[in-house]
Amino acid sequence: MKLVDKGDVLTVTDVTELGANNSDAFRDEVKAALPNGFKTVEIDLSETNFIDSCGLGALIAIQKFATSRDGTVAVRLLHPLPPVQQLFELTRLHRIFEIVPRAA
Amino acid sequence: MSEPRGKSSTCTQFRYALPCDLAEVPSARQAVRRFLNEQGLHEEELAACELALAEACNNAIQNVRHDGSVRPIEITILCTSSKVEISVNDHTPGFDWPEQIELPSAESERGRGLFFIHSFMDTARYYRGRNENSLVMSKMRCHQEHRQSSSAAASIAEVQERLEETQQALSEMARELCFRTESLSAIFRCSTGLGRSNNLPDFSQQLLNDLLHITSADWFVLRNVRESGEELTTLVVSAGFDGAQQPLSIAKPSPIAEVQAAITRRDVVFGPHRPLVADDPLVNKAGGAGMVRPILAGGNLVGTLAVGRALSNEPFTPPQAKVIQTFADFLGIQLVNARLQEEQLSTRLLGHELDIAQNIQRSLLPRSLPQLRHFGVAGYCESARQVGGDFYDVLQLSDNSLLLVVADVMGKGVPAALFAAILHSLVRALPEWTQRPAEMLARLNWHMYDELSAVDMFVTAQIVLINAKKNQMTVASAGHCPVLLAQAGTPGLKRIAPEGMPLGILPTTQFIEEVCELRSPCRVLLHTDGLTEAPDVTASTRAQHRLERWLQQSLARERSAAQLRDELAKELRKAQASMPLKDDQTFLIVAENQLEDAGIG
Repeated sequence: MKLVDKGDVLTVTDVTELGANNSDAFRDEVKAALPNGFKTVEIDLSETNFIDSCGLGALIAIQKFATSRDGTVAVRLLHPLPPVQQLFELTRLHRIFEIVPRAA
Repeated sequence: MSEPRGKSSTCTQFRYALPCDLAEVPSARQAVRRFLNEQGLHEEELAACELALAEACNNAIQNVRHDGSVRPIEITILCTSSKVEISVNDHTPGFDWPEQIELPSAESERGRGLFFIHSFMDTARYYRGRNENSLVMSKMRCHQEHRQSSSAAASIAEVQERLEETQQALSEMARELCFRTESLSAIFRCSTGLGRSNNLPDFSQQLLNDLLHITSADWFVLRNVRESGEELTTLVVSAGFDGAQQPLSIAKPSPIAEVQAAITRRDVVFGPHRPLVADDPLVNKAGGAGMVRPILAGGNLVGTLAVGRALSNEPFTPPQAKVIQTFADFLGIQLVNARLQEEQLSTRLLGHELDIAQNIQRSLLPRSLPQLRHFGVAGYCESARQVGGDFYDVLQLSDNSLLLVVADVMGKGVPAALFAAILHSLVRALPEWTQRPAEMLARLNWHMYDELSAVDMFVTAQIVLINAKKNQMTVASAGHCPVLLAQAGTPGLKRIAPEGMPLGILPTTQFIEEVCELRSPCRVLLHTDGLTEAPDVTASTRAQHRLERWLQQSLARERSAAQLRDELAKELRKAQASMPLKDDQTFLIVAENQLEDAGIG
């Protein structure tokens, strides 16, 4: 996992899996980076092959943490692969996340 | 760590020991994915199994409440051509599997693991033991890919197997369709037939023969419930079926299959596993199997239908049983319809019979009555709806004598009316033999005794001979109510009832005559007991008093017989008021005075 500082935007890349084994660390790292004046967090899911319920939990925790800070930080999920997109839809989380779909 | 074994075309097994550590889960996941990929699972199925396995392992690991030497989690995968089964066996305290697995709210960070297992797998069962739990999940394989690999031969065999299965399923479906079409067309055929014929047994026979054909059965017994509701009687049986002709009592429980079905109102299935009792009328020497269906209509039992096989012990298949049930229900409607039609017909017949009786009775009454100088006679007869046994007649025997007859045949309808007709003819013939009332009654009894006693009927009658020359009347009675006489110079009314048995009681009997002098003016009333009939004795006595008072008081008025008849008829109708007439009302009234009578009866 890599965190890239792009001024107003914090981009999280290189997430190949988001499961019970690494989701806590992922959550804590992103949360720790947030107070540094970012307006948007973009989590790139284009290389994420696997997410389980703990992974989803981590994304929800980040979203909650970001909006609890006066609603100033927007969370955006970028280009999820079809199986991951399917999980968002199955759990109806696609309604609460801003998801940027993959180019067709 | 991994240990694939026993790979064959039917079932492949894979075992994996997962250390109790979340960091180890990805390796297990990947190993399982590799194995399942080799088995030809589709990507979607692979992803589903991988996620379910991960969630199961996470749960098992996260539920460890104590550290130390925790034994590894055992993962076992069984894979066949149609199904994947994943077992995750842990050695932890376990957790309570929820009865209902629901999607948690969007804000919740936890609780989606079981939801995923539930969503992505077809079945999931959690067996919880003492520090050992097993979660067994299975998934049917839908998207099977047969890759061109070393197992090509096995794949072709599988394809053939599946093709055969499909063919078999198709032919089952075709058979089922034929079966349903046949049942429906049999019902339609019979319904059309029913419109043309009202014969329920013929109709049922035809319908049930079709049923035998459709369900590959050999015999049937259709019974209906008698009106009492306590007996089943046989309506039709299949050709060549012996027995089952005797009625069956359903008043109390019995092991007989038809009685059981009738009482419990449930289907009774019999065969080798549940043989019929020895005295069951459905017992067939060759054995066999079958079922009894109670026939209900509007919640009421109307009959039973037993259908069975004589030579085979094979029970009916569920679709066959369903067809038998449908036919039975359909017959139920027909049984009820037939019963209603029968009831309507018998009501119509009864009405018709009463009309005949009334016509006979009316035809017996004379259109006009003979009159004597100074003696006027008038008659009245009002029929009750269900009775036709009263009649009166007046015969002129000479210039100075009249014979008056009033009779009441005890009984109803056509039989009573017929006896009245016989009596009428005999009375008309009597004066040729004798002109004495007592002898006449004896002769009538002698002629009618055999016929009356054969049907337990009898007749009450009275005969009055008025002799104007002698100013006398002679009265004889066969068990009839008294002749009433009111005349001048007598303070009270005279009731004349000489002894005599009703006609038809004894083969030979004697009658007594009573002779009365008549003084002008006088009134003589012959009547039947219908005039004073009332619901109870007190009311009847009151009616009798009223009648007698009216007759006594009529002496004071100068009235012709016809006028008196009209007055009395009016009185009777007034007393009757709103009550329907229960018995015929008949009377003959004689008025002796100087008035010239119109003489119309």
